Amino acid sequence: MSLAVTAVDLTKRFGAFTAVDRVSFEVEQGEIFGYLGANGAGKSTTIRMLIGLLAPTSGTGTVAGHDIATRPDAVKASIGYMSQKFSLYLDLPVMENLLFFGAAYGLTGKALRARADELLERVDLRGQGDVTTGDLPGGLRQRLALACALVHRPGVVFLDEPTAGVDPVARRAFWKLIRELAAGGTTVFVTTHYLDEAEHCRRIGLMVDGKLVALDTPAGLKKTWVPDRVLVARGRGLGPAGARLRAAPGVRAVAPFGAALHLRVDPAALDAGAVAAALTAAGGEAVEVEETAASLEDVFLAAVARGGSGSGEGPPRATPGEGPPKVPAGAEPGKAAAP
Amino acid sequence: MTHTRLTRSLVRIGAMASKETIHILRDPRTLALALAMPVLMLFLFGYGVSVDLDRLPIAFADQDQSEASRALARAFEGSHEFHVVSHRAPAEAEALFRDGSAVAALVVPRGYQEDLLKGRRTPVQLLVDGADPVVANQVLTKADGVVRAESQRLAGAAFARLEPPLQARVWTRYNPAARSALFMVPGLSAFLLAITAVMLTALAIAGEWERGSMEQLFASPVGRLEIVLGKLLPYLVLGLVELQLVLAFGAVAFDLPVRGPGWLILALGLVFLIGMLGQGLFISVVAKNQLVATQAGALSAMLPSIILSGMLFPIENMPLPLQLLSRLIPARYLVHGLRGVLLKGNGIDVLWPDLLAMTLFAVAIVTLATRRFERKLA
Repeated sequence: MSLAVTAVDLTKRFGAFTAVDRVSFEVEQGEIFGYLGANGAGKSTTIRMLIGLLAPTSGTGTVAGHDIATRPDAVKASIGYMSQKFSLYLDLPVMENLLFFGAAYGLTGKALRARADELLERVDLRGQGDVTTGDLPGGLRQRLALACALVHRPGVVFLDEPTAGVDPVARRAFWKLIRELAAGGTTVFVTTHYLDEAEHCRRIGLMVDGKLVALDTPAGLKKTWVPDRVLVARGRGLGPAGARLRAAPGVRAVAPFGAALHLRVDPAALDAGAVAAALTAAGGEAVEVEETAASLEDVFLAAVARGGSGSGEGPPRATPGEGPPKVPAGAEPGKAAAP
Repeated sequence: MTHTRLTRSLVRIGAMASKETIHILRDPRTLALALAMPVLMLFLFGYGVSVDLDRLPIAFADQDQSEASRALARAFEGSHEFHVVSHRAPAEAEALFRDGSAVAALVVPRGYQEDLLKGRRTPVQLLVDGADPVVANQVLTKADGVVRAESQRLAGAAFARLEPPLQARVWTRYNPAARSALFMVPGLSAFLLAITAVMLTALAIAGEWERGSMEQLFASPVGRLEIVLGKLLPYLVLGLVELQLVLAFGAVAFDLPVRGPGWLILALGLVFLIGMLGQGLFISVVAKNQLVATQAGALSAMLPSIILSGMLFPIENMPLPLQLLSRLIPARYLVHGLRGVLLKGNGIDVLWPDLLAMTLFAVAIVTLATRRFERKLA
């Protein structure tokens, strides 16, 4: 399988500030690659270096087989890019936006028209070609922006926070388009800070303070970063019972979550049945405990907590052999306020 | 550059230009700014803010009280340029002049008629209120015209046989009526072209930065120079249309003549516009937001083209540093060039220095702006 994007020790410094610090990764053809991180973590800067908008301070990379430093024009011609504030011309009609970007990428005449019509169809904007772009709701604008980025059939598309500020229904529809795109063989490099969206990605790179701290499939990330067993307990009198359980061996964290109780336990020491018994013994009544999956949010919080603790080890990749990362109490997933 | 590369580049420039044209056509404000403003301004400057003065109040201090002196007074009144507010004693004339009821006083000495009859040269004294130099200047010019006409009349009459008894020293050519509209239209053209060209491009390009679409363009194969050319072309056309509009309006409303070659007008306008578009581009690259770009654009276009171009104030009368500074202002050359072509019928043989100066400015500013633009990464 050929590689659509590679980065080797990609670094960008702005004065004393290191925005992207020795980031290395590979993205395969046809993959949906999610690039996750808080605002300012270096996501957009990485993309800008890859597509030739910013010169890297050091490091190298390739996009669609072209070196980003030596062949930026070839890179630009083979990618689609949707920048953070998807920058359409709002005063122009929908169709004119498509035609302009098509012509900018060298399409002309009938081929341009045909491609524009095809894309309108594809993003469900058929018949809206004459509508002024500014009159479209946000979700439709964002689909039009995607269509503009796809007008020249690029092999790789970079989408920088494409769903920021878009309602959940529109976000879902947009991700359907992204999955269709990838199914058609297009590589999608997408940044987001919506963690639920990241579940759609085949692999996720996690950026914290300019460093790529983790890179794996969503399932792999959860396994590595949240190795604890996550349990949900329901019943009566769980508050005091949970508090008593907090210091018990094998219990890593206990947090109230609405009427229920979230617990993270050492999977080697405790399971759902043992925890139910312990809670009942501690004073709980009608206790039911079931296991639940860790979310990417748990992963993200764990990663941020470790990245922010300044451990100095600067792991470019989280290696599973390293043992479970320590998760400080402050980074618990169940963040509901104590009753 | 191979043929196909050039073709592709032209396609991209064409895409930029046609997109920009749609922007302009879909924004009534831009069109209004570019097309309605010139006509409005020309109207205001041509009529309202006219520096033409007529029926200037003049006090007539007639010490001669003769038929000849009354004829001179009638000549002043009859010219419609002056209005004689007093015919009486010199003392009263003096008072009117002092308190500002009259802008000038003409003193006809005792023995005026006598001298004329004997064919002697006769001085008359004109006192002019110099507080407003524009008015003073016009009084001098117009009084001179009246006196000259009267002098010719006298010369043709029976009782003057020798050379014209009253001598004219000023001979106004090209714009004999000293009508400011004729004088102003070339200046206004420079002013209006400068403002629209600088402001519209500054706005258009700062808008791309502000909207974030500049980054989108940079990520596409459209080159920096292609962006610049594509964006400027429609404004160049708009500016030339505007110039034609101003001249046509000047011709209809003020009988503005076009004595020189039309292509030279176009050439002067073109190089001037390229310079102004470059200036707008430069401002927008530096400013990057529309508010700052508008203000910087308006200031940098308006002030020099009003003050230093010679449109209102003669450059020859400026202190030396300002005269030197005015040499850096393209509007100066356009004003001079247009006046030359329109009023004097000058050709390229006379006006080539103006054309050359504006070309140099255009090349310099476009190069500077494009360089600056190219270095700026998103």
